[in-house]
Amino acid sequence: MTSTTDTLGLTQKRKLRQRSILKRLYVPMMLLPASLVFLVLFMGALIMAFLQSLGYAPIYGVNDFPTFRYYREMLEDPAFRVSIGLTFYYALVPTILGTILSIYLALSMRKRFRGRTLFQYIYKLPLMIPYLVGVAVVIELFTQGGIIARLFHAAGFIEVPQDFPRLLKTEAGWGIMTVYLWKQIPFTTLIVYSVLMGLGKEYEEAAGTLGANKRQTFIHVTLPQIMPGIVAATLIVFPFNFGSFEVPYILGADFPNTLPVQAWRVFDDADYTRRLGAMAIVMTISFISGVLLLIYLMLYRRYERIRGRQ
Amino acid sequence: MTITKNQRKKQASSGNRLSPYQRYYLIFIGIAVVVPFVPVIIRAFSFSWFWPSILPTKWWWEARENAWQPLGWDYIFSGPSHVGEAIINTVFIAIVVTIVCTAISLPAARVIAWEKFRGKSAVEFFLLTPLIVADIAIGLGILITFLQLGLTGGYVGIILAHLIPTTPYMVRVLTSVFQGLSRDYEEQARLLGATPLKTLWFITMPMILPGIMAGGLFAFLISTNIFLLTFFVGQGNIVTLPTMLFAKVIGGSSLDTIGAEVALILSLPGLILLIITERFLKEEIFAKGFGG
Amino acid sequence: MRKYLVGLVTAMVAMASGATSYAADEEAFRDAFLSGNLSYDDVLARAAEEGEVNWFFWGGSQALNTWVETSVSAAMAELGVKLNVTHITNTRDAVDLALAEKATGKGLGEGSVDAIWINGENFYTLAKNDLLFGSFAQLLPSSQYLFWDPSDARSGANLFDFGFPTESREMPWGAGQYICYIDTSRLSASDAPTTFAELEAWLQDSPGRFTYIAPPHFNGNTFVQEVMYAHNPDGTGHAPFMSSAESLGSAEIARLITPGFEYLKRIEPNLLGGSDPVYPKDQNVNETLVASGEVDMACRFGTSAVHTGISNGTLPPTTQNHLFPEGYMIGNKNFIGIPGNAPHPAAALVLANVLASPDSQISRLETIGYEIGIDAPKLSSTDLQRVADGMPPLYGVTLEGLGNNKVPDTNASLVDIIEGVWMEYIERGDTSRSLGQIVADVYNSKYGS
Repeated sequence: MTSTTDTLGLTQKRKLRQRSILKRLYVPMMLLPASLVFLVLFMGALIMAFLQSLGYAPIYGVNDFPTFRYYREMLEDPAFRVSIGLTFYYALVPTILGTILSIYLALSMRKRFRGRTLFQYIYKLPLMIPYLVGVAVVIELFTQGGIIARLFHAAGFIEVPQDFPRLLKTEAGWGIMTVYLWKQIPFTTLIVYSVLMGLGKEYEEAAGTLGANKRQTFIHVTLPQIMPGIVAATLIVFPFNFGSFEVPYILGADFPNTLPVQAWRVFDDADYTRRLGAMAIVMTISFISGVLLLIYLMLYRRYERIRGRQ
Repeated sequence: MTITKNQRKKQASSGNRLSPYQRYYLIFIGIAVVVPFVPVIIRAFSFSWFWPSILPTKWWWEARENAWQPLGWDYIFSGPSHVGEAIINTVFIAIVVTIVCTAISLPAARVIAWEKFRGKSAVEFFLLTPLIVADIAIGLGILITFLQLGLTGGYVGIILAHLIPTTPYMVRVLTSVFQGLSRDYEEQARLLGATPLKTLWFITMPMILPGIMAGGLFAFLISTNIFLLTFFVGQGNIVTLPTMLFAKVIGGSSLDTIGAEVALILSLPGLILLIITERFLKEEIFAKGFGG
Repeated sequence: MRKYLVGLVTAMVAMASGATSYAADEEAFRDAFLSGNLSYDDVLARAAEEGEVNWFFWGGSQALNTWVETSVSAAMAELGVKLNVTHITNTRDAVDLALAEKATGKGLGEGSVDAIWINGENFYTLAKNDLLFGSFAQLLPSSQYLFWDPSDARSGANLFDFGFPTESREMPWGAGQYICYIDTSRLSASDAPTTFAELEAWLQDSPGRFTYIAPPHFNGNTFVQEVMYAHNPDGTGHAPFMSSAESLGSAEIARLITPGFEYLKRIEPNLLGGSDPVYPKDQNVNETLVASGEVDMACRFGTSAVHTGISNGTLPPTTQNHLFPEGYMIGNKNFIGIPGNAPHPAAALVLANVLASPDSQISRLETIGYEIGIDAPKLSSTDLQRVADGMPPLYGVTLEGLGNNKVPDTNASLVDIIEGVWMEYIERGDTSRSLGQIVADVYNSKYGS
């Protein structure tokens, strides 16, 4: 008799213990599949890139691990400094300009106007279209023999294509930044707009009735409220622009161009041993954008703290 | 401090109308979004279009009659263009990526949304980091491993690579779907004696299905848009619509007819998605994951 | 149950051993074929067993793509081989794929590339990496339509590919001559330059109306080579450029190419784009520049390009071929190469043979106007007549004019150096180093100091 109850108690205990192990394992097990993508594929890729940038690439017939040679060579190349400047320039200008234009667009869309439903439908179009199509669109419009140049010709403003200003394939990067803006204004707007919709207008109306003018209302009431949305959007947009390849490769100058394009060029060299130099460049891109984002997030936290949110 | 009803109404209505600047701005945005497609569409139906004509010198349908070879859309839909193959590849890869991505993201999103555990915010943050790292870094880094494993030049490698940028979005969107859902229903069902599996299938699934649909469509769209990872891992052996369009626009000078047609076909998934989401899903679902 | 299990295991073992013996089998086939112990019928039989062949080639020509997948596919299907075509943007892509597969240990019968449309540098790369199937070309029946005798000058184009000995490791498939074309609605043939000096003068009068394709694309390299020939300081034209880079040495190379590069630097401000010059990435891009009126003249390989362009609508009907530069128009052949890790080697050999057959060559000439890559004097009189009848119009030039101005191409190892110098000195505009220094640096990066 006693022995049976004892066994029963034991099985129960065991069951309980099993359940608690199961419970403890529940969260890690559930996270595992997605984490595998992150740990194995993504981190694996970065680690391999890092190891290669330090000279480990037996498959290309190179193994002088560890060496900083490839970073040194990269830094010694005067073109690197130019590239880094351009990469920042092409990434930052559309991010800032796009954010301002998007806020204004989101605010305007909140108003009531004819065709609002249709507009809310149409403005998202570029968001859904691949960057490469954006590139194709910009090419058709803005080359010196493109449709706008032809319209200018028909209007008698220009004689030959050369009279039309060169907008693509120059260091100035007009084409690159146009594609970024065209694609990203809808994205940022969508986010800011949905934050606005979630907020309602009570605070702003209250500020208005309390005598604040439009500008004051915007700066002190609306802006702080949509700030999380703006930060979230720029957190996606800026690193994307910073690391984007296709757009600057096609629409930028042959030389100089952004870091990702430089990395591609070096990687594409017939000489496989140069691929390690490309790894140094892509690691640098990742490092810079990582550091920038951390600084940005810290600044934002501080801003939130000052505003007394946390 | 008394505000009459009238005052309030006035304030509200004046704040509700567009200022002239805003009107012009909206018109400008509307034009800037739609009009740029016009030249591409015209190009797609042209045979030849030389300087300085504003409309094609010769349209496609005028030339196709006496051509010895298929031109324009006829070429697109003929075997030698390989556009059909590219469409099938693009869609096949995207479907598999979407299914795998949904399957692995659902459990993660569920625990992130509903469970409390140590290191949760760290997990959330790290799962998002692939979004901020340049594609080219991932592509070049992954290439050497894939080469060694023999995963280059095939579908498996491309699908695995596509999971990197799609999973973070999926986890984010699904997390917000679960967050918007009360756990009470599940608990009630359990109290009423339903097994966990039954609860999942009959209670939770129907509630999160619209969210999964939205996330899935989004993952599908991202996958159909990926160029660089496909190009690296596929090694030119697997052609998709983006790699095909890349070859067409690579020079940065005007498109040819085929290039314009590929661009239009590649725009279709996004267009269809836009219509579907607008019709059937809550529009803010995409924004949800990003502070919305 | 046990019976099934035993059966399954036997099947698996058989499959496993079959797989290994198959790879060994491929090598045995190769050795037997290359040593001349197999007849072409044996190859045909084996090709039909293999059942398919993967051919990689530049997919930028709509006309060629259509012709291949109607005419060549049908011819291969008749022999029981399915032709799988992969369009690539750049021949290098296929070479890279084969190289990458070799690096992961994939040998004959295990790779994914059976045949590549190839020449020059890419062939050189495969050869350097010991990644060619072997000396097969002269063992195929179609080799009877080609000159192979080293003592016969007409064999040169088959025996050497950019100065590099082919050793029959690739099969001649096409021939081409570098030529320019003009849009006569803007630039008449009499006003168009015929020498580099005239080009410079014309560009001074009408800046921006011309540009050339950027090296390392072969259509860009070839333009630069012609400039080098014409500006050879000894006045010996192409002659010294036939030697390999190593036999010349960096100082001699620098001496030979300095006047040419100074010329390229001089004309640069007057090219399309002026102070920020535009060098198109390939011949298709260059063609769109002509169509959209941005340039009046462009250069590329292939005398039939104008014909194809006009019938495709990519070039205005007013376009004409134009002989430029007089006396220095590079002509050469292009080939079908078979990588050493081809998955279907017998089918690849059959493809090479079919492509070099008179029927296929003449069909291509008749349909899309591509010049034949086999040697006309070796053809039968009926085939010769068909070639004469099938010739597309030449739009402003004559066969005689083309022949009189033909010169051979530069040694592949020198092309490698010259393109490297171009990228530093012209594209990157490096002024911190002298031209001699740049040449020395490029040379040393390839051959050590």
